[in-house]
Amino acid sequence: MKKLLPWFTIAAVVLSTLSALMVGAAQVDNFWSALFNPSSNEILWQIRIPRVSATLIVGAALGIAGLMAQGACNNALAEPAILGTSAGASLGAVIGILFGVVQVGSLGAILFGVIGALLATALVFRLAALRGNLSSFSLIIIGIAVSATLTALVGLLSVMVTRADARSISFWSFGSFALVTKENLIGIAITTAIGSALAWKIAPALDRISLGDATAFHLGVDVKRSRYLALVALSILAGGAVSTIGTIAFLGLAAPHIARFIYGPTHRFLVLQSALIGSLILIIADTLARTITSPNELPIGLITSLLGAPVLIALVTVKNSVWKVQ
Amino acid sequence: MIKVNQLTIERTGRAIISDFSTEIPSASITAIIGPNGSGKSTLLAAIAGDLAPISGEIKIDGVNPYSLAANELAHLRAMSLQNQPFLMGFTVRQVIEFAGPADQVMTDLELSHLAERQVTNLSGGEAQRVAIAQALAQMKTNQCSTLLLDEPLSAQDTESRNRIIELLKKLAKAGATIVVVVHSSEEKISWADKVLKQSL
Repeated sequence: MKKLLPWFTIAAVVLSTLSALMVGAAQVDNFWSALFNPSSNEILWQIRIPRVSATLIVGAALGIAGLMAQGACNNALAEPAILGTSAGASLGAVIGILFGVVQVGSLGAILFGVIGALLATALVFRLAALRGNLSSFSLIIIGIAVSATLTALVGLLSVMVTRADARSISFWSFGSFALVTKENLIGIAITTAIGSALAWKIAPALDRISLGDATAFHLGVDVKRSRYLALVALSILAGGAVSTIGTIAFLGLAAPHIARFIYGPTHRFLVLQSALIGSLILIIADTLARTITSPNELPIGLITSLLGAPVLIALVTVKNSVWKVQ
Repeated sequence: MIKVNQLTIERTGRAIISDFSTEIPSASITAIIGPNGSGKSTLLAAIAGDLAPISGEIKIDGVNPYSLAANELAHLRAMSLQNQPFLMGFTVRQVIEFAGPADQVMTDLELSHLAERQVTNLSGGEAQRVAIAQALAQMKTNQCSTLLLDEPLSAQDTESRNRIIELLKKLAKAGATIVVVVHSSEEKISWADKVLKQSL
């Protein structure tokens, strides 16, 4: 039974993807024939397939990004939105867009987002380590403070400059897939592929870092280098996703925890499972966001929180031994 | 063989070990004893390559541990901590296999019946034996000549303690250099070939 569990996740993602392609404000006639004929239905091929593909990729990216945050910090509370990574990516992309250097969703905006994510994450770690050892407490508190500051700056820039393509504070705070195009997919697919490959490579080192820095070092792990690479993977994954569709809080926290509770703590396996569960949550959330109040859309970040939080609470309450609470 | 020559180590600006020299022979068990705060664990951590000295040097089989990268150092010595933190629910077998094959060391340390239990659900003594087993697995896999154990007996009952001591004696007889930190009030150290006494 345990061996079949991963296949249930895959089956759930496939079924949710098909459901997401079928439902929406407009009806897709002859769905199955349209699905295998790219020129047959514009709504399906020009709008829904790019959007659903984006939710799958971004969900996977944020799921793995959360896993990298938690693994690198050895901290159950770490996630891109708490470590300043998401806010840094938003600010990087907004700066690039407002100065007219790049456009939303372009490869340039993604580059600005990844650089912003890297700088913000590095700043949080540098400030948290100022008093010597990197404690979980200082990391989370400083991460929250830096996130709040950078989010405020994004808000100020969004309000002060009234360019139509700059996106709203709501977009950067809660995220949206409404404006995703086929062209946007290339950028987030590239960053997700690079970040995932890096995450896969360093996963065994993160297993050992979970035993503490000293023991990981005794076992032969270059702890500093592994942690640095995990944070680079986190920044590439979250930077690419956030600069294209805005911040989706909670997914980076919930997806790896849910994967860990179901499948155990081995990081290489969790890279795959966090990606699948991230995609699953996001595709369900996006389908609900665009159908509950159709033709209007709800901010997707609200739905991910409403979906993910109860599941996470239930899992922690029922089975709390995967991550020991100190 | 471990050589410690005029070693000085500071922590938060205070000298914990000052101008200390000794030789630890191979194929033997050396116990480091002394009261709390005397620098027993600090000396062991320095030998393991965890703490860089202010001055002086350490050589394990003629090699300075600070000149090696982490993965090279893992082939020179294996070490277990006094209080190994286990935060994630890996099984006992998985944790040991991070270092090497688990079956034999689990048998040696009476852990076989706990192989599939999560390390977050172990008693203090069991967790301590898992940490020792991991170091032993690393020693075997990487063919390390040196085994460093920080207070490996503190949470063990008499039977487990005797079993661990016999195991260490066997390893020493086979040529290993074993250094064990022991709380001096804990027991008689008759099983050690050499005793290093640290004082405040």
